[in-house]
Amino acid sequence: MTAVAEAAGVSKWYGEVLGLNAFTASFGTGITGLVGPNGAGKSTLFKLLIGQLHANQGTLRLFGENPWNNVPLMRRLGYCPEHNQLYGWLTGQRFVEALLRLDGMSTKKASTAATAALKVVGLSGAAHRPTRTYSRGMRQRAKLAQALAHDPDVLILDEPLSGADPMARVQILRTISEFAKDGGHVIMSTHVLYEVERITQNIVLIHNGKAIASGDIHAIRALIDEHPHAVRIETSHPRQLAQALARMDHVVSLEVPSEDTLLIRTRKPDAFYKELPGIVADTRLDVRALESPDDSLEAVFRYLVG
Amino acid sequence: MSISLPTYTRREMPLLGRRHRLRAIIVTGLRREFKRPAVIVSTLLGVALIVIISTAILLFAGLFLPGQALDLSFFFVPASNQTVLFFITLMASLVGSALIADDLNSMALTLYLSRPITHADYLVAKAAILAPLISLIAVLPLVLTPFVAALLGLFSWTIALQAIGLAVLLGSLFTAFYTSVTLLLSSLTHRKSYAAAGIFAVTFGLTIPAEILSISISNPALLYASPWEDYLAVARAAFGAPGGQIDWPWALVILLAATLVAASLTYLRMKAVEVVAG
Amino acid sequence: MFGEVRAVDDLSVAIPEGAIGLVGPNGAGKTTFLRLLLGLVRPTTGTAKVLGHNIAEGVPVRERIGYMPEHDCLIPDMTGVGLVTFMGRVSGLDADTAISRAHDVLQFVGVEEERYRKIAEYSTGMKQKIKLAQAMVHDPQLYIFDEPTTGLDPRGRTEMLDLVRVIANSPGRNVVLSSHLLPDVETICKYIVILDGGHQIAAGELRQLLSGSADRLRIDVRGDREAFAQRLRETGLEAEATPTGVHVARKPGVEGVIFEIAKALGAEVRYMGREIRSLEEFFLELVERNEAAVSV
Repeated sequence: MTAVAEAAGVSKWYGEVLGLNAFTASFGTGITGLVGPNGAGKSTLFKLLIGQLHANQGTLRLFGENPWNNVPLMRRLGYCPEHNQLYGWLTGQRFVEALLRLDGMSTKKASTAATAALKVVGLSGAAHRPTRTYSRGMRQRAKLAQALAHDPDVLILDEPLSGADPMARVQILRTISEFAKDGGHVIMSTHVLYEVERITQNIVLIHNGKAIASGDIHAIRALIDEHPHAVRIETSHPRQLAQALARMDHVVSLEVPSEDTLLIRTRKPDAFYKELPGIVADTRLDVRALESPDDSLEAVFRYLVG
Repeated sequence: MSISLPTYTRREMPLLGRRHRLRAIIVTGLRREFKRPAVIVSTLLGVALIVIISTAILLFAGLFLPGQALDLSFFFVPASNQTVLFFITLMASLVGSALIADDLNSMALTLYLSRPITHADYLVAKAAILAPLISLIAVLPLVLTPFVAALLGLFSWTIALQAIGLAVLLGSLFTAFYTSVTLLLSSLTHRKSYAAAGIFAVTFGLTIPAEILSISISNPALLYASPWEDYLAVARAAFGAPGGQIDWPWALVILLAATLVAASLTYLRMKAVEVVAG
Repeated sequence: MFGEVRAVDDLSVAIPEGAIGLVGPNGAGKTTFLRLLLGLVRPTTGTAKVLGHNIAEGVPVRERIGYMPEHDCLIPDMTGVGLVTFMGRVSGLDADTAISRAHDVLQFVGVEEERYRKIAEYSTGMKQKIKLAQAMVHDPQLYIFDEPTTGLDPRGRTEMLDLVRVIANSPGRNVVLSSHLLPDVETICKYIVILDGGHQIAAGELRQLLSGSADRLRIDVRGDREAFAQRLRETGLEAEATPTGVHVARKPGVEGVIFEIAKALGAEVRYMGREIRSLEEFFLELVERNEAAVSV
């Protein structure tokens, strides 16, 4: 399986200021979330991917090619920058058309493509109003429309949801999911972690210019040894269940915080979940609810970045 | 033994009233202005130049102004010194242009207006920051000159005191006009440079064409359009100096009306600004 | 009740004490509502009172309100502590109290030595903290937070939400939190007001509004979800497999059955619990219904 984007030892400095520092990661097919604190290097990575910057060191490949000075490659990608200033006097339709024609599309094709893209993001109604009248959510969708309109293979989105109202959020996430379902690839950065989790399980976590984790959220979580996986079970017989579960050697601790709750910490969550149904079924102990409070991107971020 | 950790404490006493709130804005504003080298230099330069020129005229009156009687009408001369006009405009553009424009640019206006003050309070405070600085040029040197003259024994104290009184009145009138117009220009734009340009336009853009045209097409009524000429007309009448082509009552009315209209427009403009953006 | 807004452009809202979430699509009237609360705008018809004062009076109302705007609004060439002190004085604190409280609130929000530097040099997170500090310095009774986590990275968001929560939980303090991030609103507010098209379309205690189906369970199954659902159906239970998991009607003993099936299929159960409706789902449904009703 060829990765969509591959970075190997990529470094980029702005004078003394750190952009990326020996950044190595691989972005797979489908949707990948790029997550990290402010100043971690996300914008730098994006600018390198779209060929606006040239790395000081290392290799960066998008679809196997170097993005720098690579116009044919640029045609295959759609980019949504973070800033929200559009050409205020243009209507949504004209805005998308103008950018398509800059791409080299004929006027007629641009018009149809723009209309279609605006329909996909749900802006058909507002397509003929100037973009300065748009709310934040509508601007985000307009940006997304221009990124989609030329039918790219990959979408690179920088904070596509920021400032958007709930309806626009749902629309944008839906559009991204559909795009991925149709075989497109997406690399998207955001600060709102629970939104990433809604559309993908794949992330790349970036901090101080380095990739500190990449892959499936739960797999990453399972690897964080210093913070054993916590699981909270609601049961009317917590102590008996605790005894039964204590047999598993990867269980680090068992607590009974209240008369109907059992809190387990385990070093090997996968093994735990595999064995749990068997133990519950055999002992016939009543288990009313089960949840893992720190098996989330939020927890991964907190444990790895602080 | 106990440990007491600092906590977020509650406010026990009641809040102070309007005068204190406005004073806070005015004092903070003035302090910030006086830290700026440009303001310090222009103030010192302006005051010094005007006083020096006026004193020179005083001492060498016979040379510069043959035929000028050494009575009250003499003090029209320093009052009509073009340096005054230049430095007032400079002060207004240095300090005044940013007073409201910066708050619009940074949207700090939101913070001000979410405080327990009204739009009028805000404008009064801004005016009270600008007016003292302008009056340092419009009033102070013209008050110092008769004072110095009396000290040097060139004029009697009676005349000097009269001149001082008139300088205060005239200077205040001109200060009020410039404060009001400057704040209006400052409230119309986010960029203080545009407001500053506007102030120069009001001063020289009105004065110079008016003066030129009134001569070339022989219509002195055009001079009413220049705030400087209006001021001169009123000053001439006040000091009893001869000459002048326009009538001082109309000039006075024009200056006062412009001041009031500018102030009202500024108030309306501020009320129209959206501070809670949606 | 700390606030009562009646018939303003047809908007009728009554606000209880505590932490209230203000939610609505763009153009719903949230901005107007906040302007009303701040006394910056007068109702065309009707009356409104906040904290016992008629909002037409403006100034007395604003003495008791601390507003944290969404947009940038700080004075760049002042220091952090300078700005907060200044705003405290403009609110009516005397000079000494203002400085003292400024330092207190800066400590509370977590601004350390940076408070002595000019705001122009601050990061986004620090600027948001200063915005919060200036809203707190005069110890108001009502806080209005407008999108407090804008532009903050995950760490900053957590810190900011924690601060908002502490304030919301302080006795005698009321918080209005206006935000598009509904899960944030969910974790902090006990009461929600939902606006759309200038009207209030729903209001009430969060728990009640979202009580949804206490009679259904959601199970996060790792393995073959469809087969799982099928097996459940075979035992006579109503079940369906959806992208968010397997949903099954709650009946006595269903939990035991679930684990038996899991054991039999070799599947994992990673979550089992109430099918809680999220505020987001509730909100979207409500707005769709409202728009449909309006266009009819």
